[in-house]
Amino acid sequence: MTGPDTGGPPPDAAPGLAGGPHGDLPEAAVRRLESSAFSSGLTVPDFAACLDLGLEPVALVQGFCVMQWGWYGSGSGYMRGMSPFAAASQNAGAYSETYQCPHGFVGADHRMWGQNLEQSWVEAAWAQGYGSSYGRMVEEAEQHGAHGIIGVVDRVSNVADTGTTEFHFLGTAVTVKGGPPPAGGVPWSTFLAGQRLTKSIEAGFMPVAVVASMASVRVWAYCMTEYLMEGNYNWAPPRPVPVDQVSRAHMAVRQLARKHVRQMLAGDELHGAMIDIAHRELSQGDEVIDCTLRGNRMRRFKDYDEVALPRPTVRLA
Amino acid sequence: MSDPSPTGADPAPPAPPAPIQGATDLPKDAAHRLEELEHGLFTSDLSVNEFLLVKEAGFHPLGFVMGSSIYHIGIQTRKWGQSQELSKLTEAMYTARELAMNRMEEEAEELGADGVVGVRLDVNYYEWGNDSAEFIAFGTSVKAEDGTSYRNALGKPFTSDLSGQDFWTLMQTGHVPQGLVMGTCVFHIAHRKLTQALGSMGQNTELPNFTQALYEARELAMTRMQDEAGQLNASGIVGVRLEEKSHQWGSHTIEFLALGTAVTKGSGEVTLPKPTTIISLDN
Repeated sequence: MTGPDTGGPPPDAAPGLAGGPHGDLPEAAVRRLESSAFSSGLTVPDFAACLDLGLEPVALVQGFCVMQWGWYGSGSGYMRGMSPFAAASQNAGAYSETYQCPHGFVGADHRMWGQNLEQSWVEAAWAQGYGSSYGRMVEEAEQHGAHGIIGVVDRVSNVADTGTTEFHFLGTAVTVKGGPPPAGGVPWSTFLAGQRLTKSIEAGFMPVAVVASMASVRVWAYCMTEYLMEGNYNWAPPRPVPVDQVSRAHMAVRQLARKHVRQMLAGDELHGAMIDIAHRELSQGDEVIDCTLRGNRMRRFKDYDEVALPRPTVRLA
Repeated sequence: MSDPSPTGADPAPPAPPAPIQGATDLPKDAAHRLEELEHGLFTSDLSVNEFLLVKEAGFHPLGFVMGSSIYHIGIQTRKWGQSQELSKLTEAMYTARELAMNRMEEEAEELGADGVVGVRLDVNYYEWGNDSAEFIAFGTSVKAEDGTSYRNALGKPFTSDLSGQDFWTLMQTGHVPQGLVMGTCVFHIAHRKLTQALGSMGQNTELPNFTQALYEARELAMTRMQDEAGQLNASGIVGVRLEEKSHQWGSHTIEFLALGTAVTKGSGEVTLPKPTTIISLDN
């Protein structure tokens, strides 16, 4: 199992952090990595499977990035009343759908326009934070001469009450017994570990990198969406009424996340996809929908091994 | 991030706790309970499956052992706008856990155990002591059935937070637990000044000082854990967990605790049993 080209989120060192003989890493990290004992975040069954696979854990590696996580420009959730169309120049090529009020002018508070808008600047900020922390984890693994990183865990959380967001990666760097250095010197990575990784390799797939993407769509509700989302559509017939604008936003945000991830795959396959939706209501039917899609970029390198017939088993518990 | 320790953190681990006295350190009731266990009866918090696998690994349980320490956690001033390690608090959290662990080991020693499995470390706060916390360590002491000594490099019973199942699996890999190792770092995260917040308003940007501070804190905890493993001549640490808690200090002060089981590789080649696919006939 040699490492192919890197395909994970683009490492993006923050200004002022790069430099030094050990690149981007803090001094404490370098000192820890120089220790002779290995450390591993793997569970014992995963550790056993890792040894059985011919992998040797060398270090628990990690990467972090704290980002100021606010966007106050035109089109943001903090700029109510400003036309979302003003964001068009910074959002060229992004998904956008407009909705027209069927009633005409009713009153000053009547919202005659509506729009679903992809927030590409939010996606770019997320990619920067995620990519930087991933890059630092890979850098730690490189310092150890690792071939790959298994059992990767990522987390996005707020730091205390500072209004900032931390991107956090952890994984176990491993070397392949007797294996040549990874291609380009960059270790491969995967969320998988233990039997899941073993079975993937037996099935003929080798890990390339963890891939992830976040898509964000802002819903600027027009009158119909506002009425329906607030439950004020009293004159509607007694049957379910679809909220088209929100339904399409939900579809769009998932499709965008999938499109972004596909662009990272470059012909490889995505295995073990995990999709998370964060839904933030603003007011009057307005909302922001974020979709994060993560998975393992895998490359086929051989045909399937024959799978043994399962053994019938009865549990006594 | 090549600046050496910009947060002022001390890379050296906290001072080791004061030596615990001998078995006389145990409460009278504990000594009495252990005496009863020496007559053959054993107690254990292992589940039935764990018990089965510990036996399968060639060990038998001797008794449930525990250690505790109620510790007064002092006060340390922190600078509002500076990220820094709070070394007094780090030392307190480390020493208190170490005291509880040592007392648990003492109980295991009394029973003539080779090790303690399923160790759990808890911290409890009580209303009667605002600045105090009780640190408790407990687990099941075990002894090898074939008389082989599994004591660690310090001549003490090994400790491990592995469950019975994990203990069996680890032994199958040819590794032997040496000790539950830990490292801690209590860190104060700076508040953002108004000028800083205004300076980056409207931008999505990394905050290198925050990144560096949190990075440093976690690395210090992990380095200290690895130093403990080094003292045990371990070849590695498995099942490392990195826990973060603010305890009762408010959201800007966080304890980073790294925990894992230090292991050494036994001699000889080991062939792991091949996992097989199964089809369940249960309803």
